[in-house]
Amino acid sequence: MGKQYEIPMGAQHVSLLEPLHFKFTTENEKIVDTTANVYYVHRGIEQACCSKFKFRQVSFVVGRVCGLCSISHSTAYSQVAEKLVKIEIPKRAKYLRMLVIELDRIHSHLLCLSHVAENSGFEALFMKTMQYREFSMELLEAVCGNRIQYDFSIVGGVNRDLKPTVAKMVLERLKTFKKQLDELVDIYQHNWTLSLKNKGQGKITREDALRLNVVGPFARAAGLAIDVRNETEDLLPWKEVGFEIVTDTAGDVHARNMLRLRELYVSIRIIENVINGLPESALVTETKAFPDGEAVVRLEAPRGELFYYAKGNKTQILERLKIKAPTFSNVSAMVEAFKGMEYGSVPAIIASYDPCLSCTSR
Amino acid sequence: MKTFFKALGNLFRKPVTTKYPSEQTYIPDDYRGMIGFDENLCIWCRRCEMVCPPGAIVFSQDMEGKQTYHFNRAVCIYCTECVHACPVEGAIYQTAEPAKCALKEENINNGWNILFEEAIKSRAAYAVEKKRLAAEKAAVAKKDAEKK
Amino acid sequence: MKRIETTIEQLKTAIGNFYNPVLHHFMVMNAVDLGEKIEVQWFFCDYAYPSETTVFTTQVEPEIEIPSIRGIVSSAWVAEAELVDLMNIKIENTAKGFVLEPDFESGPLRKKK
Repeated sequence: MGKQYEIPMGAQHVSLLEPLHFKFTTENEKIVDTTANVYYVHRGIEQACCSKFKFRQVSFVVGRVCGLCSISHSTAYSQVAEKLVKIEIPKRAKYLRMLVIELDRIHSHLLCLSHVAENSGFEALFMKTMQYREFSMELLEAVCGNRIQYDFSIVGGVNRDLKPTVAKMVLERLKTFKKQLDELVDIYQHNWTLSLKNKGQGKITREDALRLNVVGPFARAAGLAIDVRNETEDLLPWKEVGFEIVTDTAGDVHARNMLRLRELYVSIRIIENVINGLPESALVTETKAFPDGEAVVRLEAPRGELFYYAKGNKTQILERLKIKAPTFSNVSAMVEAFKGMEYGSVPAIIASYDPCLSCTSR
Repeated sequence: MKTFFKALGNLFRKPVTTKYPSEQTYIPDDYRGMIGFDENLCIWCRRCEMVCPPGAIVFSQDMEGKQTYHFNRAVCIYCTECVHACPVEGAIYQTAEPAKCALKEENINNGWNILFEEAIKSRAAYAVEKKRLAAEKAAVAKKDAEKK
Repeated sequence: MKRIETTIEQLKTAIGNFYNPVLHHFMVMNAVDLGEKIEVQWFFCDYAYPSETTVFTTQVEPEIEIPSIRGIVSSAWVAEAELVDLMNIKIENTAKGFVLEPDFESGPLRKKK
């Protein structure tokens, strides 16, 4: 047995996008043990939502928990508040919410893929993926009004309508993007330097995924077919617009890259079906009731399953709001995935796990 | 090998970056711009102040009862909740021009906190004054009725 | 949402008889401050019928130590560490310092008297 060293990988590191902290115990470059903590970005959002803001204003506050999955948080909160005041939203609002969720998924997956390429040393591919991602930010600005903090979902429906000129622009830009996506799939699959760094690294088996309760593309790449969009039809009609689940079996970094690229094809098809089949109805359901009781909602953010629990007490201010981010469920699997790996491949593994610390320690 | 030749070809092409702010980026025509206010149409119900999520609108009141509208363009998130909540169409509306940057001289954050507190206090002071005047009037009217 | 009320002594046997790693998915732990007591909740769902949520609840005084279910569910240490920091309750074998810095005021989510 060689000598053991303790190496900290701190909150500030050259290759780390998010403020995580790990302390590795290594023996001649192979990692033996890990401890983690996440106390760098706690902002007290749950406390503020239950004392300072009224329940209709909370959907704007909660959209600012994360910059990459802002629409998932505000839509999940709107759904749980609609369950507490017992109303149903019109059909056009459901379709518009699904449109923005899928556009958001495109930009988030391309960001994660570019970061994996950068950490594997291939900077030209990082720049190319970011160049192909730019069109989705312009489309989101045309649909919602903002590039990052879309204040789109409110309690009772949506804020803005989709104009026919904007719908035409979305369909045209998606046609150009499909060819660029074929080119990216070719590079990520067949390039020799990327596969040296990615194949066989950060592997997790299906039994481990079941034992550790992982969620999102992390679990689907290991062979576990769970996706919240596959489950219920009462809140958002995913199967009606052509959703299909995508899985893989290898469980390493390369499998997760290919799975994210294949999910983008499904997203493009969903967006085309939503725009071509948009029903005519109102946008908002009005009500004067106050929230009462407790309710639970789950939604598929780009990184996995998002969970909201809310409890009301017949006043304008909620009693308790609990948010669980997808990265929160994956932390224990992350710590297990490091065992037996070399210290040099740690940045690529962290990037393919796609952490979002703003959601985790809100 | 294909990516190697493409990367070599990129040496001779123009870069894709937009030189912002010298060149303008893409702006849609229903851009979420500044909030405008029309004093003549307002009915002073203060519903926009109750609905605003970050608290960017506040109304202050002087001793005669006339209200004044104050708006902070740096705190506002341009979500249009105030426009949806207003019962009169056209009293508060959203334009398409972008808001200007906040400068240090304007003291826009700490100065706004002080202004907000004073506006709420001025409304409370007017309410107390109104009650006192109404009580005086009622006492005078009672005396007149007793005399008769 | 199906609620199952238990007590602290029966917690480990109730969850141990119910949870099967192949069939059930553990989501998160939660705690609500009811004034004098604190209600602690454990959320599970079924992989085959995922729209049904099962909740195990128990109400305790804030000073009593709650047993840890780390032996039954391997990934529960993250949720327990978060509750110990934010609600200032005691859980077996769990130290502070995962979600909040060590010198932060403890229990920020409790109701102020």
